[in-house]
Amino acid sequence: MSGERTPTGRKRPRKRGRFLPYILLSPLVLFIGALALYPTILTTVQAFFTVNPMDPPTRFSGLANFRALFHNSFVRQSAANTALYIVVGVGLSTLFGLGIALVLQRRSRWRGVVLALVVLPWALPAVVESVIWGWIYDPTFGVLNSVLKSLGLINSDHVWIGIGRIVSIVLIELVQVWQITPLAALLILAALQSIPQELYEAARVDGAGRWEMFRRVTLPLVRPGLAVAMVESLILSLNVFDQVYVLNGFAPGGASIMMQTYQISFNNLNFGQGYALSLLATFATMLLSLLILAVVYRRVEF
Amino acid sequence: MRGRSGARRVSRALLITLILVWSAFPIYWALNTSFTTLNGAQSVPAHFVPSPFTAQNYKTLLNSSGGVGNQFWRSFLNATIESGLATVLTVVIALFAAYAFARLEFRGKRIILVAVLATLLLPVYATLIPLYRIMSSVHLVNTYPGIILVYTSGFLPLAIWIMYNYFASVPRELEEAAFVDGATPVVALWRVMIPVSLPGIAATAIIVFLMGWAQFIFPLVLSSDLTTQPVTVVVAALYGQRIVPFTLLNAVGVLAAALPGVIALVLNRYIVQGVMAGSIK
Amino acid sequence: MPVLLVVVLLAALVVLAAACGSSTSTSSSPSAAATTSSGVLPSPTAGSSITVVYHYPAPPKSVLDQFTAQTGVKVSWVEVGWDNLQTKIATAATSNTYFADLTDVDWSKVGQYYKTKWFMPLNPYFDAAALKADMPQIDTFASNGQQLALPFDSSFTVTTLNTKIAKAAGVTGTPANLTDYTNALKQIKAKGAVPNPLDIPFAAAEGLSTYWYQLTAAYGGQVLDASYAPQFTSPSSAGYKALQWMVDAYKSGLVPKANIGMADYQGFTSEMAPGRVASVFSDYSGSVGSIYDVPSSSKVTGQVQYIPTPGVSGPAPNLSNPDGVGIPVTAKNVAGALAFIKWFTDTQQQAIWAGLNGSSDVISGFPLPARVSSLQLLAQGNKVSGASELMTLLGSSRAEFPGPGAPPWYSQFSNAVYTNIHQAAAGAETVQQAVTNIATEVNQLKASQ
Repeated sequence: MSGERTPTGRKRPRKRGRFLPYILLSPLVLFIGALALYPTILTTVQAFFTVNPMDPPTRFSGLANFRALFHNSFVRQSAANTALYIVVGVGLSTLFGLGIALVLQRRSRWRGVVLALVVLPWALPAVVESVIWGWIYDPTFGVLNSVLKSLGLINSDHVWIGIGRIVSIVLIELVQVWQITPLAALLILAALQSIPQELYEAARVDGAGRWEMFRRVTLPLVRPGLAVAMVESLILSLNVFDQVYVLNGFAPGGASIMMQTYQISFNNLNFGQGYALSLLATFATMLLSLLILAVVYRRVEF
Repeated sequence: MRGRSGARRVSRALLITLILVWSAFPIYWALNTSFTTLNGAQSVPAHFVPSPFTAQNYKTLLNSSGGVGNQFWRSFLNATIESGLATVLTVVIALFAAYAFARLEFRGKRIILVAVLATLLLPVYATLIPLYRIMSSVHLVNTYPGIILVYTSGFLPLAIWIMYNYFASVPRELEEAAFVDGATPVVALWRVMIPVSLPGIAATAIIVFLMGWAQFIFPLVLSSDLTTQPVTVVVAALYGQRIVPFTLLNAVGVLAAALPGVIALVLNRYIVQGVMAGSIK
Repeated sequence: MPVLLVVVLLAALVVLAAACGSSTSTSSSPSAAATTSSGVLPSPTAGSSITVVYHYPAPPKSVLDQFTAQTGVKVSWVEVGWDNLQTKIATAATSNTYFADLTDVDWSKVGQYYKTKWFMPLNPYFDAAALKADMPQIDTFASNGQQLALPFDSSFTVTTLNTKIAKAAGVTGTPANLTDYTNALKQIKAKGAVPNPLDIPFAAAEGLSTYWYQLTAAYGGQVLDASYAPQFTSPSSAGYKALQWMVDAYKSGLVPKANIGMADYQGFTSEMAPGRVASVFSDYSGSVGSIYDVPSSSKVTGQVQYIPTPGVSGPAPNLSNPDGVGIPVTAKNVAGALAFIKWFTDTQQQAIWAGLNGSSDVISGFPLPARVSSLQLLAQGNKVSGASELMTLLGSSRAEFPGPGAPPWYSQFSNAVYTNIHQAAAGAETVQQAVTNIATEVNQLKASQ
């Protein structure tokens, strides 16, 4: 940038601008440094300490917190639950998102309205959505039971959440899927719209049918969008809390890792273990994100 | 486009209907439940149209001298203030930072940008507990400033990402013209970049506001009473409490969803653009 | 690189801060526990205000205004659900933040609060020994000589029965023991009008733990002994049998399936009050007057009665679980808070909360007054449903952990209890596994103290 000349030959000011970037960036760096980086460092360091108001003082304890977590059956259970949350969350939101994006690819009169409604679940607070879905799932008066009974699929009122562990988790995650599918749909739609039309034309000239075009052109080129959507869904479903808090409470059957961290830290006041669990989950997130990116993301050139 | 067979049209219409039902049914059901009495809502089989129809639940909520109404509106105010101010702060800071990343060259640019965006990968709880303890040591727990600061730090990476993409896609010629006239980069930002990128800035603001309004776990921990509790915390508490009937609860849910819902429906274009712009690596 | 330098500096700062430790100790330790009280309260400043955060709805404004008129102190009352409130208390205390001048001190937390020093001892201001005769449950709130709260009410678990439903199913008389009670329930179920007649709150919450303690008492035992050792591990023990009974009741359909997700008060209001169940074995004293007999929220007015809790061999003791009101050490207006405690717990006011001046001045859901003198006022005026039964039952009530009081680690204990019983009912654990898990947790907690 130094010494460049504009088309009219004027020299761009150099000395005045040198500190400008840092001035512009200083609020950002301050915020991220103090309220994102510093807390993360704190978490990392204090995971190796005993931090517990019921057991003062704060002192170094090495791997004690981690060992306690591995031996805690509820923690292990919440990890298994969260694995299922992730599979359902990422799987369904990506599938539905892809479907919605494909349907909405074509510009039409109605697309604006449909898009508006599609995005609506993403804009609403997860807690509010959980309360609404909780009423739908209600064993005695919920519309789910009502509809299934009138269709003859079930005989008596089913208790959906609380008895069957897998069913509970799937149904709680469904509420989150409802919320995050719009995001996946938009991300995939963006990728779809960046596929040049010529490629479809070329494929049609070669005699490819609709399914062939989808397999040979769409799928490969949409992979970056799919990857980003999947990573977003992964982060959100690994973090799932609001829906679990409202619909599952403190029961171990549906507890997620986030819920367990909350209980350990704020009910049991064992902050040291809470830090340790947070750290483990952070690693898991990063590992899984990298895995998804490695497997799914692939820029293809034709 | 021509010659689309009838069958294809029908199947397409079916798919769109399915998508609409999937997206809108729970909201419709909440509305349905909120406009009827407890007996009507608990009728077996379920009524798909409220019968008997009554707006009593909303009257109860609008009467803010009552318990639930009072809690709800105070929390509504809290959510709007906290999210609104956090949005303003976030957008302003992100503006300057995104401009620096998009248009200026300086040492450390890559590292800072990567570091900022990497925090997007950080799960919530990497920072939840320490933030709580930091805020309490400066006595900002249960205060507007405390919550706004926490929100801002959480939304900055996403805001910067969206605005960075917008700024990067603005042709440099526009600013060149300003430079020719002797403008400094800051003036160019003010006179050229911002006016041109208003849609992107609007998108960022809307998305950040919606995210702020939906926050739950942070205010659950950081705000201990109605001084600062937003709608989400109050709604969850009402759901877990004893005597609030489901019809009233659904009315609370509808009202709680009203503000973000209306914003999402009316300003939908900006949200879609914002998310899609942010996805192009 | 300047950025790298900043990061390294921050990291160093953190390690330093962490190593210096004791960032978690609360600042002001309360004044040494004076065991004699002067009985003299400091005068509150006129025009000041206090914040009361509690899990009951506020008294009517008109009544609170009377307090303001008397003392000049304004009252701001915030209602927060019990579980949430416990979290708030803990988070505010650990962060040394002010959140209330007065709040709930649960009977089960007194041991913990003695250890963590979160509440101000009231010994200099209230003479517990003198008050004991009129406030029988005041001891529940003292630990190691420190009076950490005064009773907000008196409360104990009771058994409620919808006699109308029972009679319609052909059940004559009151069940005298647990076998009769179980048979009565089966009979009601068989007759069909109420297919699942028993309410047990199987949600993973405190109400489930309390239910188990009461049933254990019905089987003639306790869950922990005086040294907090588990008493329920053997299949012939009272606690084991009680757990088995609860799980069997759920699995055999005596309890509605939906109860797996229902907490205590939810059960009262959405099942007992609409007449969908016929009995709650471990209900709370005062629920007849404040829930079942209230026409606007109940369909069974006049039908529900307190019955002596049916034990294995006759009436079982009822367990006291009163709520207490205490002053957190972070309170701002101590004088105002003390004045409020005195006013709130005096004979007249306690009777008014329970209905002495009619239903317009009550605290909704208020169980029973903490004072015997208040109960007498109410009995005279015939103002409390089932008053005579309640007075008798109060006389035979006892604490869950008589002697040492609740252990300091009670919350973790209760957490282990309700999560495992919930799992057992949901079929995720056997009763044996649940019992073993709870016992293991107890032994770990004991060992760590």
